Amino acid sequence: MVLPTSVEEASRLLPTAEGGASAKLLAGGQDLLTELKEHLVEPDTLVNLKSVPGLDTIEWNEAGELTIGALVTLTDLEEEAGVVEKLPILSEAAASIASAQIRSVGTVGGNLNQRPRCWYYRAEHAPCLKKGGSECYAFEGRNKYNAILGGGPSYIVHPSDLAPALVALGAKVTLKSHSTSRQLLLEDFYTLPSDGDILTETRLKPDEVLTHVHIPKQRAGMRSTYLKFKERASYDFALSSVALCLWLDQGQITRTRIVLGGVAPKPWRTVKGEQAILGKRVDARTIEMAREACLDGAVTLSENGFKIPLTKGLLTRAFQKLA
Amino acid sequence: MATTPSPQDKVAWEPRDEMTVLNKDARRLDGPVKVTGRAVYPHDVRLPNMVYARLLVHPAPRSKLTRVDVEPARQVPGVVYAEVLKSGGEEVLYQGDDAVLAVVAAETPEAAEDGVRAVVVELEELWPPMVTPEQALADDSPKITENGNVVVAGTRGDQAEVEATLGRCDAVVEASYSLPVQHHACLETHGCVVDFDGEKATTYPSTQMVTGSTGMFARELGISRSDVRVLTPYMGGGFGAKFGIGKEGAVASEVAKALMRPVHLMLTRPQEFLMAGNRSGSKQVMKGGATKDGVFQALYVEADKHGGMGRGSLPTPPYIYDVASNASTIRQVHTATDANRAMRAPGHPQASFAMESMVDELSYAIGMDPVEFRKKNLSSEVYHRQLDRVAKEIGWAEHEHRTEPGKVDGNVRVGIGFGVSTWGSGGRPGCKCEVRIEADGSIRSSVGTQDLGTGSRTYVASIVAEEFGLELSQVEARIGDSDLPPSVGSGGSVTTGSLAPAVKDAAHNARVALCDKVAPVLECDPDELTWQGGKVYPTGEPDRALTWKEACATVGSDPLVAMGEFQPHLHQGRVHGAQAAKISVDTLTGEIKVLKMVTIQDQGIPLIRSALRSQINGGMVQALSYGLLEQRVHDADLGYMLTANLEDYKIAGVQEIPEMVAIIDDDDTRQTVCGMAEATCIPGHAAIANALYNACGVRIRDLPLSADRVVTELAKRI
Repeated sequence: MVLPTSVEEASRLLPTAEGGASAKLLAGGQDLLTELKEHLVEPDTLVNLKSVPGLDTIEWNEAGELTIGALVTLTDLEEEAGVVEKLPILSEAAASIASAQIRSVGTVGGNLNQRPRCWYYRAEHAPCLKKGGSECYAFEGRNKYNAILGGGPSYIVHPSDLAPALVALGAKVTLKSHSTSRQLLLEDFYTLPSDGDILTETRLKPDEVLTHVHIPKQRAGMRSTYLKFKERASYDFALSSVALCLWLDQGQITRTRIVLGGVAPKPWRTVKGEQAILGKRVDARTIEMAREACLDGAVTLSENGFKIPLTKGLLTRAFQKLA
Repeated sequence: MATTPSPQDKVAWEPRDEMTVLNKDARRLDGPVKVTGRAVYPHDVRLPNMVYARLLVHPAPRSKLTRVDVEPARQVPGVVYAEVLKSGGEEVLYQGDDAVLAVVAAETPEAAEDGVRAVVVELEELWPPMVTPEQALADDSPKITENGNVVVAGTRGDQAEVEATLGRCDAVVEASYSLPVQHHACLETHGCVVDFDGEKATTYPSTQMVTGSTGMFARELGISRSDVRVLTPYMGGGFGAKFGIGKEGAVASEVAKALMRPVHLMLTRPQEFLMAGNRSGSKQVMKGGATKDGVFQALYVEADKHGGMGRGSLPTPPYIYDVASNASTIRQVHTATDANRAMRAPGHPQASFAMESMVDELSYAIGMDPVEFRKKNLSSEVYHRQLDRVAKEIGWAEHEHRTEPGKVDGNVRVGIGFGVSTWGSGGRPGCKCEVRIEADGSIRSSVGTQDLGTGSRTYVASIVAEEFGLELSQVEARIGDSDLPPSVGSGGSVTTGSLAPAVKDAAHNARVALCDKVAPVLECDPDELTWQGGKVYPTGEPDRALTWKEACATVGSDPLVAMGEFQPHLHQGRVHGAQAAKISVDTLTGEIKVLKMVTIQDQGIPLIRSALRSQINGGMVQALSYGLLEQRVHDADLGYMLTANLEDYKIAGVQEIPEMVAIIDDDDTRQTVCGMAEATCIPGHAAIANALYNACGVRIRDLPLSADRVVTELAKRI
């Protein structure tokens, strides 16, 4: 384990696109340690970001924009007064994650960069697509937890709860290497298996570090919520989740953001669903339109068809909560 | 205790209302050391010069080995021992202890793990893996046991007669019910530490049978039973899976013999799921009929037990209920997976779910209150009072729909369901207890039993405290050591029925002996002494009392030692229980919340009331977890168990736990003791499934009642 003192130093320890050192970034370790224990990754070096200063703060600027350091713990995010007051969707998403113990250690950066939880990915002996193998075993195997949207050739779902909420808020992320720094919309940070490199779920380059998350000031009047369905309430990943931001004017929807979690290989923003209900009042008919539009194109596997009625149910509950 | 019966009297339990220590709540003697982490469990044992051993278990069920090479493991720094346990040319027949291919021991657990991973294995996996009942039942599937994949375990009754009776019923329900394999999921995995010097051995197994384990280690080590000592003062859960020392105990003994160093071998969590036993699953196809007067007339059952390589467990239908016309066939359907073992009330939760669901379906089918229908078909009056009690506690009379279910309307609905339980727990000879009193007033009660978390350690002391009118804290309990007087293993809920009478007998004998010493000092008859409040006095003359210490001073320089043994008349088997569950279900999302569970349980004299309630609560939690969450999943093509860890094999956590009401049935006035812990996990999941139907009319006949199943059914109705 090495303890770099700057992002640049950390980046230099990481492999490059051409290969190089077998190193992994360590933050809270709540995902990485499970991968190490299961021998899914066997790096020579762990680059511990905890020694890099300046990555563990939550800052509101005068313009009302929020910057969250990658090392901020999920508990700190969940409890930050401004977040609780202005961005309930984010506070709720953070609170929904895992257990209190894990949230007190797990970080924002780690949560956004989690690897899949698919049974086959986690089974060391199953050489699935995500591990460089040639088959997505879930496609014809046991796939209760797998994707109904955006799947193929891999059918993983992205496990992050923060990601759907942050995409709904229009968040950006800063990605830094020793020589570069760039910002991406979080929505664009995530990739589908069909987008190219199937071994990753993001556009993060091997030597880049996700250092900060930036949330723009939201237009006045936003109502928001994150509803997550957990099979086991005590701690679990989402079977399905709905991140919903809603702006109403005299009862009419003037703007909305709908992002689904637990159903696709990335946070699934449903522009179609958003557009379908603009200008409408939040009533049963509008909710029905949103439900249909959001699940448009869903393709179910042998054991995950329940995610359609479940997600529709969550969408209804989310709209009812905000209306 | 107020008065002393004559020492010549046959030993008997005191009247309950005169008890001062028993039949009360009590803090467990081992509570403080457990919650502060000072209790040393087998996992925690660290001995000088100890090595850590790890097993290599192949994850797929069936294969032909071509090569197992441990030489690379021997090259791993820290590894001191690596041996092949199954070599090239041999076959792996099933997933479990048959797939243990090698063992590695090292100076550290990490080096042992690295060593295991360095072992080179070459094999051909055989297809199909035979991990599902469907594969076992397929026409062209390979035979995985000598007797084939399907063995008829029992047939009874006349099917034609049952069919004829069904023809006369007003309502007939045909349904297939299934339950998955359940894992014990003990907090402490199986395993032991073996310390062997070539002549004698001290072993530290995580076991529910301290005394009996000596013979098993002796056999493996090739020494006499007297040369083995078993020390298990604390252990982290058994639930029926920890009677034998298992493959892991045998291998640990081998390594200990080879190295002459203490060996620590505990299973990893995935290995615990693969090779440490389970509750057999079951599929029960039923046809039941009732007449409008509420009589359950007829039942035909075809049931399969899914016990892997084991035989599985299932009591014969119609289980608890009185059904005059009944017939059944029970089969074992074998898969190439780990054999089932005893698990808390073996077979009963499986039988209960199917029967209680059928009973429920019939009651709604004839439009009768399901509580009344149950009472009508249960002959024992005990069940009637118990059902009435849990119905009252859960609020059944105030519930708005009792003979028809609520509607699926997009709202959150509330439902209530019921179930009953039985268990034939008894007692048997085998326990001996020593009570030793010293002249300085110290007193201890010793027996080589184990405490699986039930509180047995505490009543080993409290029965003695009761005998002498002492506080519980004045008596020391020693258990968990095979050098102490012997005890039976903890299975079938026989611990209390077997152990408590022996402790009581020893306490009685000690008191008789101490009375003989004290009587001359107090100048009275030995059988005219009263032991109360830490004092002893001639009955009726409390002002002449000796303190406990003064009384003990009469013992002299040698301790007073009294032995006791099992006394059949102090115990009586057979317990009854009833449970009710109240749940809410979101009919849009299928989210189930168990709001409240109520259990009433009888057992004769409640030795420690708080420990009893604890057992009842634990039973409810285990049933809730089985009913809502627990599911072992295999990939039928690869053969791998996909849920061999505590993330994917989901067990209820704090958020799942409802308000729980544990009621000790004080109307059971039997002046005997009896174990009851198993009964409490039997009907809870059935009550929850019945509550789901009551809430919204969705009948799920396959456990668990997981969200995918519930929301799929709801979606069909909205």
